[in-house]
Amino acid sequence: MVGLTNCIEIYVWFTDSLNLPTQIFVEIGSPKSNDHKCQALVGKPSIKSEQPWTHQKQNLLSPPTVKIVIPKPHPLPLFLSTHSSLGSRESHPNPTQHITIDIVEEDKTSQTPKERKKTPSSSQQHKPKPYTKTHSFAIAKTAMSCSNLTMLVSSKPSLSDASNLSFRSVLNPFQLPSQNSTPPTPSRSSVTPLQCGLRELRTRIESVKNTQKITEAMKLVAAAKVRRAQEAVVNGRPFSETLVEVLYNINEQLQTEDIDVPLTKARPVKKVALVVCTGDRGLCGGYNNFILKKAEARIAELKNLGLDYTVISVGKKGNSYFLRRPYIPVDKFLEGGTLPTAKEAQAIADDAFSLFVSEEVDKVELLYTKFVSLVKSEPVIHTLLPLSPKGEICDINGVCVDAAEDEFFRLTTKEGKLTVERDVVRTATPDFSPILQFEQDPVQILDALLPLYLNSQILRALQESLASELAARMSAMSNATDNASELKKNLSTLYNRQRQAKITGEILEIVAGANALV
Amino acid sequence: MTLNLCVLTPNRIVWDSEVKEIILSTNSGQIGILPNHAPIATAVDIGILRIRLNDQWLTMALMGGFARIGSNEITILVNDAEKGSDIDPQEAQQTLEIAEANLSKAEGKRKTIEANLALRRARTRVEAINMIS
Repeated sequence: MVGLTNCIEIYVWFTDSLNLPTQIFVEIGSPKSNDHKCQALVGKPSIKSEQPWTHQKQNLLSPPTVKIVIPKPHPLPLFLSTHSSLGSRESHPNPTQHITIDIVEEDKTSQTPKERKKTPSSSQQHKPKPYTKTHSFAIAKTAMSCSNLTMLVSSKPSLSDASNLSFRSVLNPFQLPSQNSTPPTPSRSSVTPLQCGLRELRTRIESVKNTQKITEAMKLVAAAKVRRAQEAVVNGRPFSETLVEVLYNINEQLQTEDIDVPLTKARPVKKVALVVCTGDRGLCGGYNNFILKKAEARIAELKNLGLDYTVISVGKKGNSYFLRRPYIPVDKFLEGGTLPTAKEAQAIADDAFSLFVSEEVDKVELLYTKFVSLVKSEPVIHTLLPLSPKGEICDINGVCVDAAEDEFFRLTTKEGKLTVERDVVRTATPDFSPILQFEQDPVQILDALLPLYLNSQILRALQESLASELAARMSAMSNATDNASELKKNLSTLYNRQRQAKITGEILEIVAGANALV
Repeated sequence: MTLNLCVLTPNRIVWDSEVKEIILSTNSGQIGILPNHAPIATAVDIGILRIRLNDQWLTMALMGGFARIGSNEITILVNDAEKGSDIDPQEAQQTLEIAEANLSKAEGKRKTIEANLALRRARTRVEAINMIS
């Protein structure tokens, strides 16, 4: 079985308190490797002496214990080998005792403290090397992902028969870590469990919890707002639809009468104004990026056509984006409010109107995010000015800059949604009385109507943008909440495991200590 | 034949139901509309719209726009519309006073036009209340 270990604690008791190793290395290897060589050098472990190295008080009955904590968790099966460089006190050449310990899962029921007790006492009689007065046996205790895995390991091969514990030890004297030719185990990289202490885990869980609360709250707020925005869009639709319908019809009728309305006058396009509607805040997925990318793409397109352009930026995100790019000419920075009203739309409309009427620009395009549904919205380009039901404007070179490029019209042929909207305009036409009389001068009526139309178009775009933004934020925050709860779950599992492991370790320590006293 | 009135603003539908008669202030003066009116299109000035429901008259302040009348179907598109009963009289009176003060202070052509517009709006709102009482 392969599980995750969070940390491994190895206890080494020394029967001779005088001859103690100066260093103990722990290495991890795989039992499947042919030569039983260490595969990964963990490095010098943090050695915490549970009792002083030279413990005089309790004689041999209570041997000094070295607790080795390997901080890095490893997947099972574990293969530990300890290097005890011994005898430094006695000017010996630094011998390395290489004890390879195979940890095998054992039956928990058969493992009782009393049986454990036997192991140390019997192992004390065997010495693998003559010059090592001290020989160690170790109880390696691994904090396993499964709590039923308790390790009891010994350096004595002969002991395997004596006890019912299943373990295997191989002695590889004078094996140095540097001699290893095999690379570190790749299995470690595949399973990279979080490595931190209980306290860190606790704080992480706390912070994830807090983040989740925030994202959850943001999601709920966005959901409440999106409903309001959706209502605003729905409420505004009859107005703008009727307006488009009326305008279309009046325009048709007025085409026979030769009148000059500035807003519908199509000129050869030399300069285009782009009204880019972005949001005021982030944390809404790719919403702002999508519309800005669209704007960039449109700008590149206009450049390729050899047309001049200027940008009217609406929304804080767009403002900061264009401020960072001074090479993009921006006519005006405007800020969208929390809920777009006719006032904000009026500000944009005034700007677009003056630009167009003063012949500074010959075309005004509106870039906004169309609200399709709660889970779907798409950035679109919609020609604002000149107001033209046909939408067919060509520049001097005869290159059509409008109809083909106009997303609003192009998408009608592709997607059903937009076709419906266009159909509304078409089917409404016969509904309109052909014998319509104009109370005032047609120019006067159009003068009253066109600003209204411009206004409503912009307002609708703003509303749809806001609804899309909120919907995007809602789904983004919903995802974030889901991720946070998953992360929290994982961290809690990890935390509980570590806690369990710690408890197990402490119990084992106590038991082993008590056994050693007997 | 019944006459159907629909008052639309960019934000919402203010009115959408059957009426007996309306009096609408257009750019060229007030016109009354009864069922079976000839189809006309007209610009709507800042002014009062009076609606008759049976024997009851209602007033509404319109902030300029456009109206289309055809086959007993009246569609009024305006930037803003308020029912007379929804307007707070005190607030409207105050706004009117402020607008009057602003107009007397206004300098320059653009500011004067803006102040004039504001004054007309404020006056319309006050009139809409007074019509009821």
